[in-house]
Parts: sequence; structure tokens; C-alpha cells
Amino acid sequence: MREPLSIRATTYTLLALFVLMVAIPLFWMVTTALKSNKDLYEDFSYLPRRPTFEHFVRVIQREDLLTNIRNSFVVASTTTVVTVFVSAFAAFSIVRYRYRGREWVGRLILFKYLLPTAMLFVPLYAIVVALGLGNTLTSLILTYLSFMVPFCTWMLMGYFRSIPPELEEHAMVDGCTKIGALFRILLPLSAPGIVASAIFSFTLSWNEFLLALVFTSDHTTMTVPIKLSMMVVGDQYIWGQLMAGAVLASVPITILYFLGQRFVVQGLAAGAVKG
Amino acid sequence: MGLLAPTVLILLGLVLYPFFYAIWLAFSDKAVGSAGRYVGFRNFAYVIAWPQFSAAVFNTVIFTFSAVALKFVLGMSVALVLNQRIRGRNFFRAFLLLPWVMPAFVVYLVWRWLYDPLSGLINYALIDLGLVASPIAFLSDRSTAMPSVVVAHVWRNFPFYAISFLAGMQTISQELYDSAQVDGASRAQQFRYITLPGLYQIIGVVLLLTTIQTANAFEPVYLLTGGGPSDATMVYTMLVYVMGMVNLRLGEAAAVSTLFLPLLVGLVLAVTVLLHRKANV
Repeated sequence: MREPLSIRATTYTLLALFVLMVAIPLFWMVTTALKSNKDLYEDFSYLPRRPTFEHFVRVIQREDLLTNIRNSFVVASTTTVVTVFVSAFAAFSIVRYRYRGREWVGRLILFKYLLPTAMLFVPLYAIVVALGLGNTLTSLILTYLSFMVPFCTWMLMGYFRSIPPELEEHAMVDGCTKIGALFRILLPLSAPGIVASAIFSFTLSWNEFLLALVFTSDHTTMTVPIKLSMMVVGDQYIWGQLMAGAVLASVPITILYFLGQRFVVQGLAAGAVKG
Repeated sequence: MGLLAPTVLILLGLVLYPFFYAIWLAFSDKAVGSAGRYVGFRNFAYVIAWPQFSAAVFNTVIFTFSAVALKFVLGMSVALVLNQRIRGRNFFRAFLLLPWVMPAFVVYLVWRWLYDPLSGLINYALIDLGLVASPIAFLSDRSTAMPSVVVAHVWRNFPFYAISFLAGMQTISQELYDSAQVDGASRAQQFRYITLPGLYQIIGVVLLLTTIQTANAFEPVYLLTGGGPSDATMVYTMLVYVMGMVNLRLGEAAAVSTLFLPLLVGLVLAVTVLLHRKANV
């Protein structure tokens, strides 16, 4: 059935508006990074007249952004690897074994998932300082685990539950151990969930702001978000470099997301809907 | 179970312990580098009497309410448009998701630059279009600061509403719409009597989850205004940060977050009950 013309006109008009609304800030970020300072501050133009990569060069050389990119990478990838293992074990245990307190752990996980970091950063800061971990990447990895693990455990529980336990039971009849069944049956079958957990952990760690702001205090330990936010206050004519940094910080995450989009949507559905 | 041990350790050490530690801190005069003593309700009395605290309560409520309402309307509109038979739907769905895929800190830095009074795009465009005579200091004027922060936050977060609602819409059977059309129901009636009821549960979960997240938003305020001008955008998370990390008064900072606890726990419990009704954890 063909839609009436008026409906189609409204649909496409709205669509065009939404696309513009999303496109303009993104366009401005990218073109700012490519404009010369003259185009930015003296002789304003909407389009870059003489596109240049000088801001990218400067943000990497003068601001040493590569150090911060490396920090972000170390923190995000370590957190991701540990999270995936720890969460898979926990989800497996909760879904497949019956013991006292099992439901209680499940509830605590949900509670943590919903409890905001903003409530916890002051005590976490005191704990990090008391452990002598102030201004280290370890403090970030450790505290990121405290919100990645509950989240991913919860998501994987949804996945594992959707796989019939009979498959593992058959494997165990054939001489497989329970842990062997986890690695040989459950994990391969829930590969989309594992990929989704990994993408989530990496993205959330890469983007995390508040704890990184509170825990790290010098340029050699800062992650990218903190480094860029510190640059804002430094210099009035910093925007070219800042937007170059913003582009560099967005590219890995955007690529990762679109590569894994299928899994992430499935993962959200498994976690949120099957809950 | 041994498999659960790391998770239990993390939950006890980095969730439950800090949670109760925060409550203890609120009753102590702990500062960085000193052991705290129990001081009863002194922090609470001090904090409540402070004008910044009432500003934070007011601003948190205004920010949360207006941001959630706008995200809901925008997200629903985008979902309705994407649910139509349009060309290149997959492309547009992916494209309109971009603000939410980008790191939040990047989005707020970009908006800070868009709002810039000297060289920002918005001021240039407004002047070129003849809408204003002189640049607007969006982020440093008391009347425009909060709306500007809300707009940037809505831009970044509406896609979550859009994809959630769109996913819900796609589970509603097309036959319902077909028979409604045969019965002569208008588009508005179809939305009111088929789409909305079909989305009730998703709307409930999305609204509660995002209300909690919005009430705890920190980055938009920190990166755009720092809570200013003169506390016009001071939300509670920003106040906790300023007290704890700038003034190094951990006790008072914890008192502020503890005062917001009942509200947040209430919201969390509501979400838990709602999710439990769908499937038992």
C-alpha cells in the first residue's frame, strides 16, 4: 500500500531536518580540525579554504597526545580482557549452578548497574589514595572493572540463559568437564554476546571521564578525555588542535562500533529484554 | 563457587564497601590526608544551609526534567520517521545514531566550540541570518547557560531513545495497522491506540533508566560551564566534585551525595521492580 503524498512529504522533511541536526556539529568538528588558524579566528569561513593537517601534527607533537592515546588504549584493552573473562565465569556460575545467595548476587549486579558512578567517586578516590594507587593507570583499570563486570555479567546472563543446558549436558555425557563445556559449548555459541561485552567495555573505558578526572593528575598518566579537557582552559586559540584531538579520539570508537553494530544491538536486546 | 569469586570481590570491595564508606564519610570531618572523626550531622547541617546546595537541587531537577522530556519527544519523532518505508533506511538509522556513538566528552567539547561567543558557528550563523545583532554568550549568560547545556546533552543522547523505541515499534504487528486502516483510523489514532500501548513497557524502562543517568550527568556541565555562571548550571554531581576534589572537603562532598541517595535509590528500585516483572533474575 502506497503512503499518501502528505505523509511521505512530512516524513522526508523531518528526516532531512534530523540529518542536518546531526550532521552540522560533526561537520564543524572535522572542518575545524582541517582549517588554518587564519580561517578560524581572523577571516571566518564556513568551509576550510586551505585544508591543512597542521593541527593534527601540533596536537601530537606539542601536546604529546600519543602518550595519552596509549594510556587510553592500555586502560581500555586491559579492562576489556579482564572483564570478558570475569563476567563470563560469573554469568556461567549464576545461570548454570544452583546455590544459596545466587539470586542475591544477581540483584547486587543489577543494583550496581543502575547505581551511578557520581555517588561513588568520592569514596573510591579515598580508597585509591589509601592503596597508594593515586595517579596511576592501575587505579583506572581497577575501578572500571567495578562497573564493567556487573554490566557484562548481566548481559551475558541473558545470553547464556537463551542456550539450552542440554547441549552442555550432552557434552558432559561425552566426557567433557563442566568448565570444558563452558569453553567448548557455551562461549562459542554466545560469541555475539562476548563480542558485544568486549565492545561495550572498550568503549565505556575509552570514554570514561569522571573517575579519570579524579584519579589522574599529570600529563603522563592522563587518558585522552582528560588531556583534551585540560587543553580547553590553556589557550584561547586551541580549537583547531582540540578538534583534531576530538577526531582522533572518536575514530577508533566509531569504527569499532560500526564493525560490531550487529552484535551490540543483539547484546542490548539479550541483556535488556531477556533481563 | 570459585568462578564467581572475582565478581564477588569486585562487588564487595568496589561497590558495597565504597557505598557504605560514602555514608560514613558524610558523618565525618575527613579531608585528604587526615583521618576523619565522627561529627554527627554537622556536614548535613552545613551543606543544607548553603545556597549552592539549593541551587544544585533546583538545577538537577530542571536539567533532568527538561532533558528527559526533550529526548523523549525527539527520540520518538526520529523512531516514527525511521519506522516508515523510506529509501536508505539502514543508512539513516546508522547515521542518526552517530551522536550517541561518539564519546560524550568529544560531543561536549564540540558544542563548547559551537557556542563560542567570539568564533563559534552558532553566533556566526545567527548574525549572517540577521537573527541577532551581536554575539550571544550562550554559556556565560545566566539566562542561556542551562538551556545550552540541555541542548548539547539532548543532541548526544536522543539516539538511545530513538533506537529503543524503533526496536519496540518493529515488534508491533503490521496487521494491527492494516485493520485499523480498513476501519478508517487516522494516523494520529493509530499512534495513540496501537503504537503507544505497544511501547508502554519499553517507554517505562527507557524513561526510568535514563532519568537516573540524566540526574547523574556530570560531563555536560563540567565541560561546558563548570557549573557557572554563578551556579546557574550547578547540578549535584558538579557540586560533589567541587566540594570533594577542588575544596578537598570529602565529608561535605559525601554529605551532598548522601542527601541525593533516597531519590536515586527510589529510582533504582523502581527500575529493578520493572525489570523483574519481565523476567526473574
